[in-house]
Amino acid sequence: MEKIEVRGLRVTVGGKEVLDGIDLSITTGEVHALMGPNGSGKSTLAHLLMGDPTYKVIEGSVDLIKNNNRSDILSLSPDERASLGIFLSFQNPVAIPGVSVFNLLRMGALKNKNNSKTKKDNGHAPVSVLAFYNQLKKTATSLGIDEEFLKRSINDGFSGGERKKMEVLQMLVLQPKFALLDELDTGLDVDALKIIAKGIRQIAKSGSGVMLITHYTRILEYVKPDVVHIIKQGKLIKSGSYSVAKEIEKHGYDPLTTVS
Amino acid sequence: MDTTPSQQFRKYPFGFHDRIKYPYRVKPGLSLKTVEEISYQKNEPEWMKEFRARALDFFKQRPLPNWGAPLSTINFDKITYYVKPTEGVGKKWAEVPETIKNTFDRLGIPEAEKKYLAGVKTQYESEVVYGSLKKDLADKGVIFLSMDEGLKSYPDIVKEYFGKIVPPNDNKFAALNSAVWSGGSFIYVPKGVRVNLPLSAYFRINVARMGQFERTLIIADEGSFVHYVEGCTAPIYSADSLHSAVVEIIVKKGARVRYTTIQNWSNNVYNLVTKRARVEEEGIMEWVDGNIGSKISMKYPSCYLVGRKSRGDILSLAMAGRGQHLDTGGKVVHIAPETSSSIISKSISFDSGRTSYRGLAQVFPKAEDVKIKVRCDALILDQESRSDTYPTMKIDNSGATIEHEATVAKLGEEQLFYLMSRGLKQAEAEAMIVNGFIEPIVKQLPIEFAAELNRLVQLEMEGAVG
Repeated sequence: MEKIEVRGLRVTVGGKEVLDGIDLSITTGEVHALMGPNGSGKSTLAHLLMGDPTYKVIEGSVDLIKNNNRSDILSLSPDERASLGIFLSFQNPVAIPGVSVFNLLRMGALKNKNNSKTKKDNGHAPVSVLAFYNQLKKTATSLGIDEEFLKRSINDGFSGGERKKMEVLQMLVLQPKFALLDELDTGLDVDALKIIAKGIRQIAKSGSGVMLITHYTRILEYVKPDVVHIIKQGKLIKSGSYSVAKEIEKHGYDPLTTVS
Repeated sequence: MDTTPSQQFRKYPFGFHDRIKYPYRVKPGLSLKTVEEISYQKNEPEWMKEFRARALDFFKQRPLPNWGAPLSTINFDKITYYVKPTEGVGKKWAEVPETIKNTFDRLGIPEAEKKYLAGVKTQYESEVVYGSLKKDLADKGVIFLSMDEGLKSYPDIVKEYFGKIVPPNDNKFAALNSAVWSGGSFIYVPKGVRVNLPLSAYFRINVARMGQFERTLIIADEGSFVHYVEGCTAPIYSADSLHSAVVEIIVKKGARVRYTTIQNWSNNVYNLVTKRARVEEEGIMEWVDGNIGSKISMKYPSCYLVGRKSRGDILSLAMAGRGQHLDTGGKVVHIAPETSSSIISKSISFDSGRTSYRGLAQVFPKAEDVKIKVRCDALILDQESRSDTYPTMKIDNSGATIEHEATVAKLGEEQLFYLMSRGLKQAEAEAMIVNGFIEPIVKQLPIEFAAELNRLVQLEMEGAVG
């Protein structure tokens, strides 16, 4: 069991404070939903946990706790965090001309294989390029991603739905211990939503900790969260069970103005 | 160091080495006496001696070009223009700079080849490969010799074409090369013959790649095909500061020539090269020109499309790091109707390096229905690096279809973060972005070159990041 523990986190971007004292813990095997209106700091938190250099921490800590050992991860680069098993799916993943998801994942997966769960899972870590490709193709097919997309420049000319599926594909191949999923459900039709939800359930079922960032409760019907957090103006104003999400659905974010 | 040519001459395995009894080297500096001496030592025909002498005059008359990279620090008086081939030309392994040795190690280059590339060893063990290739080519009537040997064995063909595509007074450095040239390749491909294996400098390594002033002449007769590959992705160390080659190519009716270069001179070399092809009816010329090394490069491979429906394609790649200024591009000159061309240029500048794209697209008044496509993309990796674009268009026929596209991109923080979040180190992520950027060019390279080039890009990036 491992845990990411965020304490008293205050973050600025371009001099403006965007997170104002966040406390949050995610343990492997748990599904957390992080909800909040636009500009509340949801994406900031996810990016910050991954090590996005755009954001600056002015106070607080983020630790990874493993076997009662606590280590600070704020000083680590994104790749070092990835090697600890942290994964971020991007809300608007960038296009990288000439770089295919196959090349990217082959390199990423090879580097991560000693740390991710795949090794523990009876040594299923892929070794040969061909074996890796076949595994990638299988996972892609399960997500309804055409094989041709594996060789194309990543996200280059992809539709919104294709990009989201590509993020889920990467998550399933990299097998992170903690999956930070930033608005994977935004802009998807119901079929795509179901496919993506299935991928999330799969990673959760395999024992990963999931932080599901969303505006809407819709996806939560497919992926039941253990905890729901509401973030507003850089503060967590409410944390509770699935019923919190139900409340939001009924009344919106406005009634929630103070920390409860 | 300037006066010790290291790369210049090597024993040619099937050549005239029996006659070499002692090393011969002309005194540094350039005079009529030097040029005549070179011609005499090579036992050349009178016309070549006169050609050299005339070229020397042109060289002296012309000022240094003032429109490109700065060249005023070249000291022409300190350069040794000719060293006769011997087995003992090389210098000591200990004299090769550590940076070069390290790069060899990291590229995993075998010991023997390292010494060759560093100019320590004068002969590369390639006779076996080359020998069989030579027989295969000879059976098809293909001539593949050093330029010096070509002049001896086929004086008439050489006389007909030598200096016709790039005249000695074309530019200052073409004039210099014409005056003091040595080495390079001479290739003739007979009518209808297709040479399926690329003719690689690897196979002719001890001749084709050694020169500072090498001269290459390729004649592809009607309907023939040949792919010539020069250079190597390993850095070529030269203590000498000036490399000035001339390449002339004649593509006859319906023939196709592809000329691939991966230039990786050490970063103290001025690389000033004139490359030009004359393309006849329905012929196709393809330049794939990769520039990674050198201190300064000025190189614009060109296609003169003189025959109806001929085509010229130029792919240019430049990657400039610290202390480098690579001024590269291409020229297409449409003289005949229904001709088409493309120039695709990709440049990367990093670690305060500088790249410039310089190109010419010209259409003559009588060239109807011309199609030209120019695309130049620059990638700049940090704030200290620089990239410029100098496109020139001279269009004298209003019916020409011309597409011109230029992009400049800064290496995106966002792309970097994305790749790093997938587990790649910063240098690996940068190399992946750069390799992705140059992929359209790399995929045109023979596979072993492509793999080596990608690896090399990664090494350069690692060096830049520290």
